[in-house]
Amino acid sequence: MTTKPYADPDAGKTPQQLYAERTKRMADALQLKQPDRIPIQLGFGYMLAEMGGITRQEQHENGAKEQELLEKAALQFQPDSVMGLFNNPGASVALGDRMTKFPGHGLNPNGSFQFVEGEYMKPEDYDAFIDDPADWSIRKYWPRVFPELEGLALLPPLGIGAFGAYALPQLGILKAPPVVKALQALGRAADAQAVADARAVNSVQRMAALGFAPPTFMGSIAEAPFDFMSDTLRGMRGIMLDIHRRPDKLLAAMDKVLRLQLEYAIAFHRATGLTTCFIPLHRGSDGFMSLAQFEKFYWPTLKAMQVTLVENGIMPFVFYEGVWDQRLKYLVELPKAKTTGLFQFSDIFKVKQVVGGTMCIAGGMRNSLLQAGTADDVCELTIKLCREVGKGGGFIMTTGIGEMEGCKPELVKVWVDTTKEYGVY
Amino acid sequence: MSKELIDAITDMREDDALKLTQELLASSTDPLTILDDCREAMTAVGRRFEVGEYFVPELILAGEILKSISAEVKPRLKQGGAAKQGAKVLLGTVKGDIHDIGKDIVNFMLDVNGFQVTDLGVDVPPEKFVEQIKQLQPPIVALSGFLTLAYTSMKDTVDAIKAAGLRGKVKIMIGGGTIDEQICAYAGADAFGKDAMAAVNLAKQWTGGK
Repeated sequence: MTTKPYADPDAGKTPQQLYAERTKRMADALQLKQPDRIPIQLGFGYMLAEMGGITRQEQHENGAKEQELLEKAALQFQPDSVMGLFNNPGASVALGDRMTKFPGHGLNPNGSFQFVEGEYMKPEDYDAFIDDPADWSIRKYWPRVFPELEGLALLPPLGIGAFGAYALPQLGILKAPPVVKALQALGRAADAQAVADARAVNSVQRMAALGFAPPTFMGSIAEAPFDFMSDTLRGMRGIMLDIHRRPDKLLAAMDKVLRLQLEYAIAFHRATGLTTCFIPLHRGSDGFMSLAQFEKFYWPTLKAMQVTLVENGIMPFVFYEGVWDQRLKYLVELPKAKTTGLFQFSDIFKVKQVVGGTMCIAGGMRNSLLQAGTADDVCELTIKLCREVGKGGGFIMTTGIGEMEGCKPELVKVWVDTTKEYGVY
Repeated sequence: MSKELIDAITDMREDDALKLTQELLASSTDPLTILDDCREAMTAVGRRFEVGEYFVPELILAGEILKSISAEVKPRLKQGGAAKQGAKVLLGTVKGDIHDIGKDIVNFMLDVNGFQVTDLGVDVPPEKFVEQIKQLQPPIVALSGFLTLAYTSMKDTVDAIKAAGLRGKVKIMIGGGTIDEQICAYAGADAFGKDAMAAVNLAKQWTGGK
């Protein structure tokens, strides 16, 4: 395709100038406006380990090294915004977490982080969960999923705290060896998390100093209430059976988790000033349930969640995982220009047609093309994305998956450069 | 044949299906007939899935109903039912990937369409596929994967089959969330399928079925 030499329009600009331009470019797109050109965000993920010749385990665990690789890759490709890994194993390892596997912990050092779904909540747990989710989580659920916290099962019902001075005799249990062990493990997990948090904040500041806009994911995390009940509690099998066997209990539980997640996300926003809530969606995409089931079990609470977040000054950054082609018409009900959708495998051109007037769209580039395609393939798709999905603004170019494991650096360069060239408005 | 039982299963009336089974057994119905009814009902469930009337909740519930009925019926069976005659399919999620939802749906749909599926589970190393191809001699191998690392694992698996001199003996299909034509060519598979019906159609095509 294009053979003329590529001249980077950002060449020669200072980091401060680039930061200001890129931040505005991202903000304009997020607010459904037309920026000067289409912003591009690279969520490198494990591509950093590949480029740096280190194991994925090292990337997860050696913060300084990951930061070094992130800076190097960012400066090499010069996109508007970048991300490394989004999670770290510290707290999970400290607690013996059964629901995650990290490279080097249950996987070989070059494995991919994976989530291990299970039926951690049994059907007979529904009543206790609905009655008092806090007590059930800490005394029943944590000991099941975090083996280091088994001692918490010895605690009295947490609500006994309301007994004031009469509850104090219960404190002796905190000295029982299994409880002591659990509290120590919690302390180690908290320490690991604090280190990770500091690393994340430091990384964003360093990237800003180098001229890169903050990534779109920064903020709290929440899930559609149906996914909350499915992912970490009932598991896919369990939740799908609940739709038929105990729909009322499922709905009652979802109402609880809607409210507690909103309380958390709003408090997080007020405490940190961060305005994004990241919402990855799992079981609501095409293929898992019928539209009738979607209308009853998935959409109402997901919509209510987004509307309430928006009312509280928070922008939901929603990862529409899987394919949403049959469900796009619902998304038009969301408040205009107040939410963002990252689309994984939906038909991105159809997404633009249906929801382009409602929300900023992120995604578009296929990971398979950046791994196994040719430069011409990448160039062709990029130009099409710029022309059709970028039309009028409200588009952030990223990979649909959000991460870039296995992508070839030379194809990534073609992609970024083509976006800068053809994404100009 | 009990149309009532078939309908109860097909319509997801779990309690009715179990009660009817117990009644049929109490009235000395041949247990094999009940299993035939189950098979017919599962085929109907598969058809409703194909046309987009049923989804994952119904496939899982149908599997559960079948399990409960089998538990009632099995103790009364004098001899096993006739062995399945359909072509063999070797199925598994490739090394490094533990996702099983798509694979399980493919298993269900191949099974109700008469194929004999051997499911090797998840995180299956290439050598395991090779060993099982030698042992079972299936005409079809189906590789599933959801993570992007599956691209490489699929390629490694196909390469291992090649290296073992078995590539000419099997047709290989791949599928899963992120799989497309690029990855099919990259991995050296014969075809990729977008969903479970595509897997059934490919399997039929490759074994001369309709």
